[in-house]
Amino acid sequence: MKERKARSALTILMVVVGGGLMIAINGMSAGQSTFVNKQLSTLAPNVLTVSSGQHGFRGPSGPPTIIFNSEVVNRIKSLPYVQQVIPEYQGQLQLNAMGNIQNVQVLGMDPTKLTLISPSLQLVPGSTVKTSNPTGMLVGDSIANPPGLTTPFVTVGQTVKATYSFADPTTGKLQTTSRSFVATGVIAPTGNNQIDKAVIINEATANSLFHKSGKYDSMAVVAISADYVNAVQQEITSIYGSNNIGVITPKAILQTRERFQSGNSSFILDIAFISLLVGTVGIITTLYTSVNERIKEIGTMKAIGAKSTFILSLFMSEALLIGLIGSTLGIVMGVNLAYVLTGFAPSSPGGAAAHVTPIFLLSDVSNVWILSVILSLAAGIFPAWKASRLSPLEALRR
Amino acid sequence: MHFKGAHCKLTLLTHLVKQVLILSALLFLISMLVVRNRGVGSRTQQEYIQDEITLRVENLSKVYISSMGKVVSLRNVNFMVNKGEFVSVVGPSGSGKSTLLNMLGALDRPSSGRVYINGINIFSLNDSQIATMRNNTIGFIFQAYNLINRTTILKNVEFPGITGGMNDSDRRRRALKLLDFLGIKDKAKYKPSNLSGGQQQRVAIARALMNDPKLILADEPTGNLDTKTGEDVFNLLMLLSHKFKRTIIMVTHNPELAALSDRAIHIRDGSIEKEVVNLER
Repeated sequence: MKERKARSALTILMVVVGGGLMIAINGMSAGQSTFVNKQLSTLAPNVLTVSSGQHGFRGPSGPPTIIFNSEVVNRIKSLPYVQQVIPEYQGQLQLNAMGNIQNVQVLGMDPTKLTLISPSLQLVPGSTVKTSNPTGMLVGDSIANPPGLTTPFVTVGQTVKATYSFADPTTGKLQTTSRSFVATGVIAPTGNNQIDKAVIINEATANSLFHKSGKYDSMAVVAISADYVNAVQQEITSIYGSNNIGVITPKAILQTRERFQSGNSSFILDIAFISLLVGTVGIITTLYTSVNERIKEIGTMKAIGAKSTFILSLFMSEALLIGLIGSTLGIVMGVNLAYVLTGFAPSSPGGAAAHVTPIFLLSDVSNVWILSVILSLAAGIFPAWKASRLSPLEALRR
Repeated sequence: MHFKGAHCKLTLLTHLVKQVLILSALLFLISMLVVRNRGVGSRTQQEYIQDEITLRVENLSKVYISSMGKVVSLRNVNFMVNKGEFVSVVGPSGSGKSTLLNMLGALDRPSSGRVYINGINIFSLNDSQIATMRNNTIGFIFQAYNLINRTTILKNVEFPGITGGMNDSDRRRRALKLLDFLGIKDKAKYKPSNLSGGQQQRVAIARALMNDPKLILADEPTGNLDTKTGEDVFNLLMLLSHKFKRTIIMVTHNPELAALSDRAIHIRDGSIEKEVVNLER
């Protein structure tokens, strides 16, 4: 009897694992979809990021063959369907605000054009943005209010000391230059990690601070509408060659990522379904063994007047019970598993770390629940039918 | 959309499995209903002759085909049992007496011949009707008690009431009354394995009486018990016969007990050797 309890518990566990995995995978992939959609909605659909080969997303490793100077900017700006070109310098700075230090990626660009890239972007009250303010600095929410800390790193109006470290091109020695900035604005949280982690300074200041001598690292090309993004992309690559220039749309990055994840989770979902099927076979085995063990009991019941339907429903209800407990625990386990798994998710390169919160749609959860219960019932049919067909005499003779 | 690949798949899987299963479940239910309805129809027919319980055995034969060849277990057995009679079936091991008892309870089917209970040939009934008949008309007592060890004494006694559709409170009241009558009411909450053999057999008797059957079939009810306890159990059966006018057919090895019953049918090699009517009763 105790043995049967252990066996039933193990069978329930099989159902729990199968159902739980399905719930977890579903919750995670739903969370992923929502996450991607949210990211997409913060980015303007008509913006392309153009980078020289070196900094490109998938550019060649050699030295850049195209130098992004104002000439290139104007050339691209003159292309059809191009509304605006926002050239950008990139560099790393060490920020020091009242003794607290943070290393950040800095974008040197016209801060007033930020809304072209991310239309939904908003600044916290008190912020001011000017096209040419050599000491102005715009700070993303994750930088201003680092997650996990109770006090903000920087607030609007505060002075920040920024240090740039570089190797002297002639002597090769490590040198540092420092400058003071005033945080003129803090960007309200957007949910998009790229924006939340951004630090933006004046274009000209970045040029001199990072010793760029007018060579931009990348540029955001704004097409007149999302419909012309592909046309603009083709135009640019046909002029400069796709090997020398990287043109990516933010949507393309996210969609690639989504496609990968979706394929992945659909694969794991298959595995989860198979494990649920294995659980079903487990129920068949458990109940079948149970029928064989209780053969004498079944015989007695039939001898004293139990109908086949009674025996059938007896074993079916046992299967149902296993299914109900298993699938309910499976949901609990799956939900927890999804949270645990997303908690450990590694951040993707480029700082676009994504904390995806799993989302459990009622329809998905109930689908898995119903699926598990139905499969358990189906698993019970054969052993229960077998038990109900037993001849009482055969059963009593054991 | 490519986006929701995982979701689409889940929905698809669920739908597929659901549809197949719902279909098979429906088919299953329909077949169950058909079987059930056939059972209900004949019950009334059985009920109006319930009062005059008599048993008639006509030309009953049973031949087993085994790897050793044909084994004749019963050969042309004929006898009748009147209402309220206490008949013992006596014979050596392998004489066919247990086979005979199994036939009377429709636990086994004969190779030829008929058994009439209340004028109904029990082998003309389908499985569901046989189950109903066993439940209403026959009480079984086994040599090995055959109690359900997973559950309590009370539930064991209640069991025929559960399958017979008796309501909860009536069932419980009757089961407790029977246990009280048999002197083991205090054991109602125990499990059968906690009881002695004699007590377990009393539980089995209580269970056999649960649906107030007119016919009691007992297969060596004292076989597993010591002489003293065996006598107690036998006296209980005598009481049922005399005081409550039950028809009892008891298979036994014990010639002393057989001599105490109304009539002893002696069986040897599958045939009736002799019938002894005990006049002193």
